[in-house]
Amino acid sequence: MAISADSKQALKVKTVVKCMQCDYTQERDFQVGDFVLKLVGNCPKDNGPLYIAGIYAETLNQKK
Amino acid sequence: MSLIIVLAQASSQGSQNGAALAFSYIFYIFFIALLALSFFPGVQQKTQIMFLSRDVEQKLQMIENYLKDSKSITEKLLKEKGFPDPKAFLDRVMDRFVIDPVSIEPTDIINRMRLLMRSNEDTVREMIMSANPNLDPMTRSQIEISAEVVNALNLIFKVIRHYLIMAKKLNSIMIIYQLQMVAPIYVKYAEAYSKAQKVFLQGIPIGDGLGPLVASKFLMKSSQKFTVSKDTIAGTLEFEGRKLVVVKAEGPMATVGTPGEGVQNVIEREGGKVSRIITVDAALKLEGEETGTIAEGMGVAMGDPGPEKIAIERVAVKYGIPIDAVIVKMSMEEAITEMRKEVYQAADKVIDYVKRIILERTKPGSTVVLVGVGNTAGIAQ
Repeated sequence: MAISADSKQALKVKTVVKCMQCDYTQERDFQVGDFVLKLVGNCPKDNGPLYIAGIYAETLNQKK
Repeated sequence: MSLIIVLAQASSQGSQNGAALAFSYIFYIFFIALLALSFFPGVQQKTQIMFLSRDVEQKLQMIENYLKDSKSITEKLLKEKGFPDPKAFLDRVMDRFVIDPVSIEPTDIINRMRLLMRSNEDTVREMIMSANPNLDPMTRSQIEISAEVVNALNLIFKVIRHYLIMAKKLNSIMIIYQLQMVAPIYVKYAEAYSKAQKVFLQGIPIGDGLGPLVASKFLMKSSQKFTVSKDTIAGTLEFEGRKLVVVKAEGPMATVGTPGEGVQNVIEREGGKVSRIITVDAALKLEGEETGTIAEGMGVAMGDPGPEKIAIERVAVKYGIPIDAVIVKMSMEEAITEMRKEVYQAADKVIDYVKRIILERTKPGSTVVLVGVGNTAGIAQ
């Protein structure tokens, strides 16, 4: 069982928003109430429905 | 012998003043006394026990702090959600236990185990709902998880404390040695549980949600979704001429569902005409392995104590269906806290793996069951 020494790393939680119709993708900070597949408005490019495609945490010094 | 010489030399130096001489005598007497004491049987052992138990006490204190923190968060949550007496409720669930079924007679042990586990889950759920019948499923699942975390931390704290007190009582250096070796690991577990509770309360997907995340990416293309067992949902879609039935726990509540029973029901519904079962789950990595690495194998990828896993194995054996497993590796802490970027990115690669398995190992017209195993907190379908 792995006990990695990563517990002291500060994490930042991000929400990935994607359009169902085009390749529009946006990343923003996580907000309480976000969940994967939640519909969050319309796409600025083609007005298609925007949904939350993923929520993940990265360490503050992690490269995007 | 050299000490005696030093003492003799010191006493012969008439130039030293009286105070310094007295101090050096006291020092040497103290040193020799200590040396002599160490030769008495048991003194060395008692000294070691004293130092080792001090170390364990520090670790125990850390675990207790995590427990107190977790209790206060849960009490606050219960208060906010209108529980009449949060402390009394917490005291009741904190020491809850499930007694293992009799294993000396293993016949039907899985059914007995399932009954006990489900009854316990249902009882806690009923206790929560009777305290406040108007709770939404999301809040209810958060309270359930918080109660589980407090229960687990309480158990860790009490067991470590028990062995510490016992070691002191029995003056047993072997117990204290073992305790000192395992205590840091349990501090890490306690820390991970404590962090996990905060993550669950915010509704953030955890690393163990990898399976449900993969399933949800398939299910978003499905127009037919239905409940297959308790807290478990399935959906059908068409993929390259195959019928794909995807099973996952019902999100975005924090639950693992009952995927074993779900898969069993799906396969019975299909009359056993399923050519492949593919299970996707998070798996604990070994130290040195990279988080987010993917591995493929055979069998049910599921960290279940037994009942759910065996349900899939039994139905697979009944109809002769091969079971594939795709796992994504992560540490224990990464599995129960925020889903890391590497794990999130691995989900898309797992989808490619699954698609390749379907294309390579099944023929058009066949039915495939895909199961996304894990806690679906923050992941809908």
